[in-house]
Amino acid sequence: MIGITALVPPEVLYASGKRPLDLNNLVPESKINPREKLCAWTAIWRELVIHGGLDLEGLVVVAGGDCHNAIVDGEKVELSGLPTCYFLYPFDGSPQLLEAQLEDLVEFLGGIKERSRFEIVRALKKRALALDKRRVRGEVAASDGFLLQVSTSDMLGSLEAYEERLGRMEASDETVEFKHRIALLGVPPIYPDLHAFLQSLGLHVVYDEMPYEFIRLTGSSLSGISRSYAGYTFAGKIQRRLGFIEKELKRRRVDAVIHFQQFACHHRLEDPIMRERLNRGLGYPYLGIEGDMPSKLPEQVKLRLEAFAERLGD
Amino acid sequence: MEIMGLDVGSRAAKSALLVGRKWSWGVADIMAWRDLLSSGAEVVATGYFRKKVPHTLVVTEITAAIHGVRHFIRGDVDAIVDIGAQDTKVIDLATGEFMMNDKCSAGTGAFLEFLAGYFGLGMEELQEYHFRAGRTAEINNTCAVFAQSEVVSRLVEGYTREEVIKGIHHAFARRIGQLIPQDADRVAFIGGVVKNRGVIDAFEKELGIRALVPREPQVVNAVGALEYYMARRGGPP
Repeated sequence: MIGITALVPPEVLYASGKRPLDLNNLVPESKINPREKLCAWTAIWRELVIHGGLDLEGLVVVAGGDCHNAIVDGEKVELSGLPTCYFLYPFDGSPQLLEAQLEDLVEFLGGIKERSRFEIVRALKKRALALDKRRVRGEVAASDGFLLQVSTSDMLGSLEAYEERLGRMEASDETVEFKHRIALLGVPPIYPDLHAFLQSLGLHVVYDEMPYEFIRLTGSSLSGISRSYAGYTFAGKIQRRLGFIEKELKRRRVDAVIHFQQFACHHRLEDPIMRERLNRGLGYPYLGIEGDMPSKLPEQVKLRLEAFAERLGD
Repeated sequence: MEIMGLDVGSRAAKSALLVGRKWSWGVADIMAWRDLLSSGAEVVATGYFRKKVPHTLVVTEITAAIHGVRHFIRGDVDAIVDIGAQDTKVIDLATGEFMMNDKCSAGTGAFLEFLAGYFGLGMEELQEYHFRAGRTAEINNTCAVFAQSEVVSRLVEGYTREEVIKGIHHAFARRIGQLIPQDADRVAFIGGVVKNRGVIDAFEKELGIRALVPREPQVVNAVGALEYYMARRGGPP
């Protein structure tokens, strides 16, 4: 298994004959209390890799354009002896630079072995996109839709298991009752019960910003993957990202926006820019919430969410 | 029928009771919230423990504060600042947006309580010291822990207790001021902490705003919870 610390094209990992493990997916349920930390996500995956007994043969650290704290925590992992590769998204969104990064990644992984898997992963993502549309229509619960999207980063470490989950969701027949359509912007929440709590307030999350990137970006060749992933909004300039968000808010007929921010994450600094454009500029009701260590939703955060729901009204 | 607004916060419980046209209110320690109950009255609960007390209806402190301020203050209000023991909430009434500080004690009542304890004073004495100060000691840190070491440094430098307390009030106002909308002019201050007029003086001087303090700042949310209930029902009980 190859550990990944943020979005690394699963197309490339699977085509290289490797099973990816997105370490972030282990964090929300983790009980680790890391000694040195800024961001809990990176500190906890660092501890999990160094002391957690995971059976990893290597680690790919996304060290540029997305998560800045990952660089030092990745180096600490490397110092512990695990082969580590640093993968950087170009800030300017250049597909050429990204393709060079992908070539280095492929070399780290030992070369492409099963090219057909590019297409297999792409087809699975297409099905996830169809489920995303159903979620917007209120036919898929937000918590289920979120979990599917967020686990697309590593596809559960098994394309068969991922396809089975897709199949189960495709077969389910659900109607979600809700009052308002919500966009959840920012990094995925460190609180595992956020989507379910919002649902209990009648707030249906129809857009999970970062997880949607996981199902949206794909390609069937290295250059195609480079072109697509060069548009990874989280890795580039905030204005490009906001332009993308704005289209999604319209397309999904979103009523209000919640921006989740992780303590000590550089993306927190983007909040005033996002608030200015989306709230003051476009008039979307806007709530910022923050998380630090993994836990169930604290009362203080619940209070903010309930007050936000009261504000949106019936 | 009697209706009670009950605000059970992290430190104190506050009640507002309306019988006919007559309002009455009470304040009790958090552990003694039951003493405030009136037999037979329906309860509209707010505050952190709102769901833990018997209630007919619950409402968050944010919504309760908006209704409560309207009850006490006539005319336009641009923003509400609710300073509690454990957190501070700022509501922008022009946009309906709200911000909360609950991660850092520097902008909450807990910080002033620490300061009072450090000088061996009661919270109610801080205002007296504030207005007796000749100068304002400069306290720059926005972190309560670092501000504490600054307090010691200023005292060593020769500032008086009065001047340090005034300096802390100003640092407190600057800290919370970061959450207040920049274009706000008329700002309502509520919560037990704002009974300290030294804090209000610091806010007005630091931010150049007009501070509006209701005559019972601590019970505004309890009154607001009750007003919220009546607004939903379309009139008094």
